[in-house]
Amino acid sequence: MVIKNRSKICLIISAAIIVVALVLTLCGRGINMGIDFEGGLSMQYDLKTAAVRTDVESVLSQIGASSFTVTVQGSGSNEVNIRIKDVAKDDIQKVQEDFETGLKEKYPDAESIGDVNYVGPVAGATLVKNAIVSVLLASVLMLIYIAIRFDLNSGLSAVFGLLHDVAIMLSFMVIFRSVIQMNSSFIAAALTIVGYSINNTIVIFDRIRENHKKMPNAPKEEVTNLSIKESLGRTICTTVTTLITIVALCILGVASIREFALPIIVGILSGVYSANMINGYVWAFLEEKRRGRKAKA
Amino acid sequence: MKSNNRRSGGKTGAVVALCVVLVVTILLGWLGITGMSIPPRGLYKVLSWLPTTNAENWPQSLALGLDLRGGMYVEYSGKAPEGSEANFDELVEGTMSIIRQRLSDKGFNEANVQRLGVDGIRVEIPNVQDDTVLDLIGAAAKLEFKDPNGETFMTGEMVKKATYAYSEGEHQIAFQLNDEGTKLFGEMTSANIGRTIAIVLDGEQLIAPTVQSAITNGSGVITGMGTAERATSIAAKIQSGALPLELTQQKVDKVSATLGQDALTSSVKAALIGILLIMVLMICRYRLNGLIASWALTLYIILLFLLIAVFRIQLTLPGLAGVVLGIGMAVDANVIIFERFNEEARKGRSAKASVRAGFKNAMSAVLDANVTTLIAAIVLLIFGTGSIQGFAKTLLLGVVVSMISAILITRFLMNRFVAAGATKMSLYTKVNAGKEVEQ
Repeated sequence: MVIKNRSKICLIISAAIIVVALVLTLCGRGINMGIDFEGGLSMQYDLKTAAVRTDVESVLSQIGASSFTVTVQGSGSNEVNIRIKDVAKDDIQKVQEDFETGLKEKYPDAESIGDVNYVGPVAGATLVKNAIVSVLLASVLMLIYIAIRFDLNSGLSAVFGLLHDVAIMLSFMVIFRSVIQMNSSFIAAALTIVGYSINNTIVIFDRIRENHKKMPNAPKEEVTNLSIKESLGRTICTTVTTLITIVALCILGVASIREFALPIIVGILSGVYSANMINGYVWAFLEEKRRGRKAKA
Repeated sequence: MKSNNRRSGGKTGAVVALCVVLVVTILLGWLGITGMSIPPRGLYKVLSWLPTTNAENWPQSLALGLDLRGGMYVEYSGKAPEGSEANFDELVEGTMSIIRQRLSDKGFNEANVQRLGVDGIRVEIPNVQDDTVLDLIGAAAKLEFKDPNGETFMTGEMVKKATYAYSEGEHQIAFQLNDEGTKLFGEMTSANIGRTIAIVLDGEQLIAPTVQSAITNGSGVITGMGTAERATSIAAKIQSGALPLELTQQKVDKVSATLGQDALTSSVKAALIGILLIMVLMICRYRLNGLIASWALTLYIILLFLLIAVFRIQLTLPGLAGVVLGIGMAVDANVIIFERFNEEARKGRSAKASVRAGFKNAMSAVLDANVTTLIAAIVLLIFGTGSIQGFAKTLLLGVVVSMISAILITRFLMNRFVAAGATKMSLYTKVNAGKEVEQ
């Protein structure tokens, strides 16, 4: 098998995905923020018969809610998930009762199932702040660690890969906004990817370090090609084993687990992609530049 | 664990060692699933700790989060009442202890009250779906003044003001009553000079002062408070008649028990399927080494849940996801080691030499990979709240245990197998004809 530097094309593909997501966000079709971030009241009901969305919406209008979303789900489309954004904390109970009364007029057998969840506006804002701070902090710590264990250029290219993976995960959340909501579990997913997908890069860099010693005068791109090739068996095997468990969780798990598992799957795939197609070449590019500077001086 | 064996009897020794580990693995696995009580009268009891797909039989030794067992939780942010100069930490602690008291008074003994960050309080009540509990938490406290016979003669609303005061070298509480309170308090004190009255908050006696003179003008002092802190804290409680902090509900979440059980069983099923597929994959690709990895993985799972049980780490839904994800990650280190082993083998090295070189070459990558995951888990532990922390904890524990399992258990088993005579390279990897090397 021949490994070639295709990093330019790959970077263009990634950039295209991220740009599409950005444009969508600017057009007001950004990430579908879940209750953890946006706040509001969320409830689930089993209506026992097929739900008519407009019916449920009219009940909500009746009780005076103005900003809400209704999602119909379940195999017989008889479950509805209701989110009301403008609920004051003191009214939770009343809104819930009013809605239930209204709903029972249309669907007498309706029954509350699962989570009733209220999040105030402050909690959401704190969460966003924590999410950004924790991803950035983790990235800086990774940079420091890899710069110590390897060298600064390795650290920079590995962290470049990390931010790429997180950006791809966020883009996925934008593009598939109709399928998946962003809740606090996304923070856990993003941090897991920050910690885990860097492993592929490290194994390749470990190889690069080893091969670099053996052939110090070879072009860096060639060293990278060889190292990626030598690590490929391991990369594929570990990626598959991790994907097996998380895909099983995604297929069998409940909705809230899926909100967590799906971004992780995307992150793992993006991590393998960036480790093999991009990061090594970023390092080679930085390293050749450094040498060039040295040669001139 | 030494990798070099004694020259004589090495083979028998290795076989015995492998058998011992096998018996230990089976025993631990069995104990983990069924638990055990040793007669007579079950004096020594070992609770099972390994989860099964049957939610009814979930091990009692595992502490389950609300999202898995059903119940509700509320998060509040607290604000000091206007004009309050009391230490904020004390106010938070005071509020928490009153909430705890109220819940346990009403029989919610499993309720858990935690501090969140600086001004947050999180209350978890398992097995409850009823909103009225919330009223119980946030309600104004019931402050009663009881006469020497234990009869309530006055209540908290009649207190206009209660503050800390310092006079004649003594810490005191100064209080003022409204008109109704003035009248009641005046009558009671006039009749009971020299006797002890009690001020009771939510059934808990705050203080029992002795009436020294009749107080008919509606203002007086309680002396002999000991310390300024005590005087301040009790004054705050009398003053508000409510919680020391003004609480705002930030988050309310109710999870039905059935939803929790579904989440539990489906996660365990996913984990079991994942484990089996990983084992098949590892054995197909790495043959005897794959078998060793599967064995180490089994021990890893037994140990991980044992630690979760022993340290009472609360298992939340994301926490369980962390365990499942950790299982996939745990074989990573093995894969790195085995690939290095195969490389050495392909160079024509013996099995023994390949084990040694394989571990040596793989160690730095294994270490780096685990340290980076640890860094991420620690950051999550610091910034995460609620169930996300559960995830960070299990991920953290998983990484540490998997490293021990990869470095110690896998190496131990590989060396024993080689010493026991499993040296034919075709046992480990595809070898080109004619290149097979025997030790």
